Amino acid sequence: MKDPAPLTTDHPGQVVSVTPPAPGRSRRLSDRWLAVTFISPAMLLLLGMSVFPLLWALYLSFTDYSATRGGPANFIGFGNYTAILTSAQVHTRALTTLIYVVGAVGLQTVLGFGIAYLISRRTRGRGALTTLFLVPMMLSPVVVGLFWRFMLDAQFGVVNSMLGSVGLGQVEWLTRQRTALVSLIVVDTWQWTPFIMLIALAGLTAVPKYLYEAASIDRASEWFRFRTITLPLVWPLLLIAVMFRAIEAFRLFDLVYILTSGGPGVSTETLSFHIYKVAFLGFNSGTASAYGILMVLVVIVLTQFYLRYLNKLKED
Amino acid sequence: MRYQKRTGRLSVPARKVQLATAAMLLMATTVAACGGDSKDDGAKASAPKAPAAIPELTKDPLTLSFIWFDWPPAQALEAFANAEYKKERPNATIKVNTVPNANWHDAMFTQFAARKTDFDIAILDSQHIGEAVTNGNILDLTDFVKENIDVNAYNPYLLAAYGQFPQAETGKRDENASLYGLPLLGDTWTMIYRKDLIGDKPPQTWDEMISAAEKCQADNPGVSGLAFHQANGSDAAAVTYNTVNGVYGGNLWDPKTRKIDGVLNDAAGQEAMDVLVNKMKPLTAKGSGNWFIDEVNAAVAQGKACIAFNWIAASGGLLDPKQSTLGTSREQILDKLGFATLPSQKTNLVPLGGMGMHISAYSSKANQAEALNFMKWFEQADVQKKWAAAGGVPARTDALASPEFLNAGPFNKVYADSVPRMRDMWNVPEYARLVDIENTNVNAALNGAKKPKDALDDIAKEQQNVLDSSNRKGGGGL
Repeated sequence: MKDPAPLTTDHPGQVVSVTPPAPGRSRRLSDRWLAVTFISPAMLLLLGMSVFPLLWALYLSFTDYSATRGGPANFIGFGNYTAILTSAQVHTRALTTLIYVVGAVGLQTVLGFGIAYLISRRTRGRGALTTLFLVPMMLSPVVVGLFWRFMLDAQFGVVNSMLGSVGLGQVEWLTRQRTALVSLIVVDTWQWTPFIMLIALAGLTAVPKYLYEAASIDRASEWFRFRTITLPLVWPLLLIAVMFRAIEAFRLFDLVYILTSGGPGVSTETLSFHIYKVAFLGFNSGTASAYGILMVLVVIVLTQFYLRYLNKLKED
Repeated sequence: MRYQKRTGRLSVPARKVQLATAAMLLMATTVAACGGDSKDDGAKASAPKAPAAIPELTKDPLTLSFIWFDWPPAQALEAFANAEYKKERPNATIKVNTVPNANWHDAMFTQFAARKTDFDIAILDSQHIGEAVTNGNILDLTDFVKENIDVNAYNPYLLAAYGQFPQAETGKRDENASLYGLPLLGDTWTMIYRKDLIGDKPPQTWDEMISAAEKCQADNPGVSGLAFHQANGSDAAAVTYNTVNGVYGGNLWDPKTRKIDGVLNDAAGQEAMDVLVNKMKPLTAKGSGNWFIDEVNAAVAQGKACIAFNWIAASGGLLDPKQSTLGTSREQILDKLGFATLPSQKTNLVPLGGMGMHISAYSSKANQAEALNFMKWFEQADVQKKWAAAGGVPARTDALASPEFLNAGPFNKVYADSVPRMRDMWNVPEYARLVDIENTNVNAALNGAKKPKDALDDIAKEQQNVLDSSNRKGGGGL
């Protein structure tokens, strides 16, 4: 059997001669065509399921189209965008979303890193503990929302029952303005802290042991070792986890839908929940598309800034 | 060091050609997709007409699908229809598909938007009719009704409420208006009260009811005075406010001038909101701010409420000893629970509930024909009585007065007595948005997130904006 044709060269810049097709293979079936054949199903799927809907939504965002009313999609320029950006309703939801993202992701980062740090110091039962902590992350958000809804019920929920047993009064977790948003943050934290923990644990495991050994020889304190070795080395990885979680939290819909339906009033309505209402209560498809596009833009722009900061951190 | 290098890399012009081809392909796809909607272009939406006579029915096996939300009447309908309709049409099977109540509107109208439905008969809330008719989603049954249905057998308002568009004036029917549906299930609120705690005689006025609840709560620690719908999903909190608004002489809008601001939040409206938030809410259980049908029923069944308000069609489970702590038999439960029409105050209005049957414009011709045949069959006097006996709430006057209906449940007489007192919400294409605005604001007021007056003024202002914004360029729906 002949050796396969080399695909790489030892020297960059060297011109690669086109490898003749293997005997028995059609002359038309070159490597490039083979590559195109293999990736085209995935590319078509991507075009059909992601790129086209995105472009379609972009087109609709400049129109007054309604999916149920039908009729022509009249071009209205930036009318939808202006209306969204100047709407007090949207500003309220943006603030709610911001508080939620900062609260949930901040809490998850602190807890996730803390748990990962504690687990990384254990030598026995580490695998079992990690698996146990990962369970919430594997559950469907709808399931999580439903059982937390029961647990947080003011009348018969287990949380209030426990509070009652230690002499504390009933708390209206899901029906008061302040506690409802806190409840959402707590439930999201319960579910997604393991994600941060997992990434932080990977970072902690990758810290070279010899650094700690050298620090021990220098009789460095635990805090000094954490501050000067552990944290700086895990920090970039942790920031990536924070970015993923922030993007996810920014799009929060399911927990709100199940736990509070955006209430009381609209005090826990996030941007995604509001888009859902615009899109499916009034079927204002044009406005909803513009709203969605704006959310994508916000994520892209913020992520770009964040990635630049991460690159700068890496260079430093 | 080895550098990977791709072989057979295309020259720059070739790549440009490929990129240009891809861009053209994408544009062509987009243009084609835009063109796909050409049948919508310029076409003024209106409901297509159903034939006056029922077309020939198929002899092949056929499934007639309904869509409704998940509650006991949905299961009752499927069981009843399969048992009875099959006697007439053995090849037909009835399937009632259900979705959670909060998804009910979305589940129907997203399919309508796709111009393809997996149901033949949509069970629409009376207020959904305007949206479905304007968008051309359901069949116009006017000619069919003239030929096949005895309209005089119904209370005119019930027939109008579940089928007529434009909306009928409260208590009346416009004989010349088109009909787009026929009644399936009548419903209204009933007052459920604890006879063992407040006495056999139900309160007659709203003030009396609040006083009785107050006293009962004070006398019975652990039992709340009142239980009613407060959730901000579906139409829960909105129906509660609208009920109190009606009882205190308020109006939801002026349909002729399409005016809400200044009508809803007039003195009567403000008084109703004040009664609801400052007099009724303090008598409810802590944390009940997200209660709807099931939670209110649970509170009654567990003996945790002196007086409760709920839809009659959802009250059957209260008499089931397996679900109740009030007794080990239906009789024992009925010794403690009483069902009465709502107390009156300045008026005696009660909320109109229930739903009608409407045929999807996107269903196949064979299924549309079967749906028409089912509706004709369902609206017959003897079938309506059987439906009543099976747990349904009929709309025909003779069925409402029949012993089959009146003896089927202790709350059925409440419904029969309530029929002349009913008032509906707005049946307009913007209904889903109007009810959401009202729901969220009433829920906010009930849970302390807004002052009652601010909430009512916000409802009036925002709803007026929705009605006025039909010609707005951009930002509709915000």
